[in-house]
Amino acid sequence: MINLLPTTKTLICIGSGGVGKTTMAASLGVGFANSGKKVLVLTIDPSLRLAQALGIKTDGEIHRVELSQGSKGELWSCIIDHKKTFEWFVRSASGNADVEGLLKNRLYQQLSGRLSGSQEFTSLISLFRFVSSKEYDLVILDTPPSQHTWNFLQAPEKIAALFNEGVASWFRQPDADKKGLFKKMLGLGTAQVLKALENLTGSFFMKELSAFFEAIQKWQRPLENYVMNCHRLLISAETEFILVTSLDSSRITEAQKLSREIQKQGYRLTSVIINRIPEWTQHQKNIKSHRVTELIKYYESLENDLQSRLNQFKNSLEVYKCFELRQNSEDVNGLQKNFDHIRSFN
Amino acid sequence: MVKKAHLITGKGGVGKSLFSTVLAHNISTQNQQVLLSELAEYSFFRDYLNLPDISYKPIPWKLNLEVSQWRPEDCLKEYCLHLLKIESLYKLFFENPVSKSLIQIAPGLHELALLGKMTSSPRQHGPAMKYDQIVIDSFSTGHFLSLLRAPAALNEAVPFGPMGEQSKSIDSWIRNPDFTEVHIVTLAEELPITESIELFLQLKKEFNIEAKMYLNKISGLNESDLLDLSDEAKSSLDNILKSEVEARIKLKSANINFVELPLVTSLEVSVLIETLAKNLKASK
Repeated sequence: MINLLPTTKTLICIGSGGVGKTTMAASLGVGFANSGKKVLVLTIDPSLRLAQALGIKTDGEIHRVELSQGSKGELWSCIIDHKKTFEWFVRSASGNADVEGLLKNRLYQQLSGRLSGSQEFTSLISLFRFVSSKEYDLVILDTPPSQHTWNFLQAPEKIAALFNEGVASWFRQPDADKKGLFKKMLGLGTAQVLKALENLTGSFFMKELSAFFEAIQKWQRPLENYVMNCHRLLISAETEFILVTSLDSSRITEAQKLSREIQKQGYRLTSVIINRIPEWTQHQKNIKSHRVTELIKYYESLENDLQSRLNQFKNSLEVYKCFELRQNSEDVNGLQKNFDHIRSFN
Repeated sequence: MVKKAHLITGKGGVGKSLFSTVLAHNISTQNQQVLLSELAEYSFFRDYLNLPDISYKPIPWKLNLEVSQWRPEDCLKEYCLHLLKIESLYKLFFENPVSKSLIQIAPGLHELALLGKMTSSPRQHGPAMKYDQIVIDSFSTGHFLSLLRAPAALNEAVPFGPMGEQSKSIDSWIRNPDFTEVHIVTLAEELPITESIELFLQLKKEFNIEAKMYLNKISGLNESDLLDLSDEAKSSLDNILKSEVEARIKLKSANINFVELPLVTSLEVSVLIETLAKNLKASK
């Protein structure tokens, strides 16, 4: 049984790819919904099987998931549509102001492609959107697969850097405000920097660049606020992080590093789940197959290795283990079973 | 001079990094000077291979084999220094908050810098590289296409000037099958297989790249191995066997040749590498 703090309203599942994070996020959703909460699970790229089992569609909309009879709560689910989310973001952040000039800029087109392609950013926007709607007791986010969770955590900073007043003002309106810009150049040695940049990129690029900064000038402030709020949500006292990892030495090493770093940075990482531990290896006797014996030994040695390193996880962390879900049991009942299978490691 | 660049990709958790070390190891034993490089913000090889600090500057790992980490900032820095020639100007450029933020957010610039470095030797642009081949532990399947698309996209957005020309020439080296080889590592599981096949087909369609496919961590089990097991174990292992059969069928029906690599049951990294290296060699 896994416990959340009573005040927790947002749960973020982090961890590297291939550890079963999406299924775990869904299991947590089913488990907490069945115990009486109104839960929304935001997910990125579920397997077809999982999506079908939950009856959710890839249209970027919120769907109610049918729970078994007698369930006390509600489960809602949404597969994030990155393009739609980015559009929603641009419109809501700019207060629906005139964004046409910006939309035509080639750099913007490239950038928006990059940002909407950057699932970290759109996941975060979705999370913020639904948490601030206050319609759910708990919103669970399955973070996108990436080598490191840092990409996700740094998403607000990255976008903030773009709209940074200092940077934007250097390029803004080079013709209309020549005097101002010129002064700044003298003061800060910008001339050489811009010259170097032009040597590297060409004057065409520089023109696009200043047009771009001119266009984003209007909605700089609301965007900054927006980004700030996203960051606040991540470090809020009502937000918990859960690190999901698998029974693999190199992944556990990664997880240990990550948990230390993430706590140092002030995010509230509370639990680690070692996922996909094979259950079939237990209580097998008189095995004739050489390969099966080899596999059992292998998984045992992995578990022993993990056990010996458990104390390296910070004391404040709860470490759980969860057995591998059988492939044919990814429906709400299977997910509930998976949730019930989450055990404290010792 | 670098004659060949190998890019390794695959969905997260499939064993991409380990495969990269195995491939690099094998090439280095054919009397080739090899550089193994990771495109990661945080080095994986450092802990995994138990090497001292890995950075942009390559460090020796084995005979004929060195390891480094390519971060876009470093690639860009090296390139700019090469182009600007003047140290003080370069410092002014890089230690400046404006250019720092610009580099952070400029679309496609990171990707361009990485691929620029990868192709710098045949393009004769940038410092000379003493390696015959480079093996790059690259981005996962989700980000891999946007990496390869960056040069063409930038060339389209900025067709003129030095940057436009650079991106055009980088793009043409990516599409050169004698130079760039793509290796996709996958597992016999639904999501990795689907993503890998999609990527394979897209690479062929968009870049005319014929990627090499590797089905990793094959259990090595047969039906006969399951006979005397408990029902629980039987059904779990049967699921594994089924998904392996399914994976082979899917790959074959997409007309994709693939190499199977076993699940190596050891915790020792050196044993993992040796065993897989033998298997990979035997497959050729």
